[in-house]
Amino acid sequence: MNAEFVMLILPLIFVAAILQFMPLVTRQGIFFSATVDPEFPRSSDGRRLLRAYRWQVAVWAILAIGLAIVFLRLRPALGILAPTLLVVAGSSFSYWLKFREVHKRYGQRRPEIRQAELSVPATGARFNAWLWLPPFAALALTAVYLQLHWSQLPERFPVHWGADGQPNRWSSREPLTVFAPILIGAAMNLVMLVLAWLFSRLPRNTIMRRITVRLLEVLLYPLTLTFVIVALMPLGLVVPVWVIPAIMLICVAGLILWSYRQIAAPALADAAPDPQSDSYWKAGMFYYNPNDPAIFVAKRVGIGYTVNFANKMCWLVLAGILLLGLLPAALGILAAKK
Amino acid sequence: MSNGLTLRIDLDSASPAYRQIADGLRILLVSGKLTPGSELPSVRRMALDLGVHFNTVAEAYRTLAQEGWLDLHHGRGAKVVSRDVPAASAEQLEEFDHRLQTLIAEMLAKGAPAAKLRTTMRRAAEELES
Repeated sequence: MNAEFVMLILPLIFVAAILQFMPLVTRQGIFFSATVDPEFPRSSDGRRLLRAYRWQVAVWAILAIGLAIVFLRLRPALGILAPTLLVVAGSSFSYWLKFREVHKRYGQRRPEIRQAELSVPATGARFNAWLWLPPFAALALTAVYLQLHWSQLPERFPVHWGADGQPNRWSSREPLTVFAPILIGAAMNLVMLVLAWLFSRLPRNTIMRRITVRLLEVLLYPLTLTFVIVALMPLGLVVPVWVIPAIMLICVAGLILWSYRQIAAPALADAAPDPQSDSYWKAGMFYYNPNDPAIFVAKRVGIGYTVNFANKMCWLVLAGILLLGLLPAALGILAAKK
Repeated sequence: MSNGLTLRIDLDSASPAYRQIADGLRILLVSGKLTPGSELPSVRRMALDLGVHFNTVAEAYRTLAQEGWLDLHHGRGAKVVSRDVPAASAEQLEEFDHRLQTLIAEMLAKGAPAAKLRTTMRRAAEELES
């Protein structure tokens, strides 16, 4: 079993593990996106449904690993994308089947209670500007350190490593390449800062709003650490190849666990509920409510926000996100052509 | 400022959403929890919080503005203004009497104990008058 293969299947196993756990990351009284008796998930029927879903996810994961092995030999470029898509799409299909069954056989209806804050300005999720200072300061200090040790930087140093830990791309000692990790890190921090601020201003004072803002703030620390490590590598800092993915993995797993405990906790009496009816959740995953003017709504299952597909503006938002996602890849292709 | 106050509505209720919003705000206004000078959220903000159409909130605000409770300013929100209590006309008193009787009859028909009904009504009147 070579390192490349291990690096390929580890993310798949991680994705499958998250998908197995995800149905539990929901409010009490929701199961597979359907409204049920709060005790239902612990009943024998509830446990049976969860077990069946988990088996199906495991089967999709095994199929995806098989596909990864095939792609590794035939089309290495598709080695990770196609199997990940398979496990996500397959598990989503299984999830939809479970949503349908739970909704039809065990579903309940709750009153459509809505709540608005009358305080002006509306109290946002606490956006803690001080939490953002250390990551930016760490990047700035790293830049100063690099500048002070400029003469110790080698003329040529690695900037990209393969799955086996060996460098496969090199660069020369120029300001742009030396400070690139700092600049990219600062840009990412800035994007996350703006996102956290925007989320803190979203309407509806839900637990999800507070969690999303906090997640973005905390996630910044391992990300910054990654960029600091990469920036210091030309100066001889040796870090095993698995360290950075391991840090990210531990942080993401920890944050998911923390979010789960927050979301699944009994709701506060004064908590503002999101629209309740199951009919707004198509296939249990897609929110469609023409009467709701919101573009972003808290996910019913999982962490973060989704869009209201009944709001035409959501397509603009989705196009913007897609463009933002494709931009680094396009820049990379352009840089490679040069 | 109106810190800490929230408005709840039930979309399953037979009463339309705009009336529930107006009724809920009127309770806060009459009880003095919303005092003259308090700012209410903009129509947009309130509609997004409640997950209802902008027009629904605008209609509720207009109703209260017509009653003299609110001063609406375009693009922002609504401000609570001081208002002289008008003298209810004989027709209005008759209508209130009818509505109250209808409500009490409905409550009794659904099994609400008469004693509890009396206590609830007295307490509600005292809270709103104080």
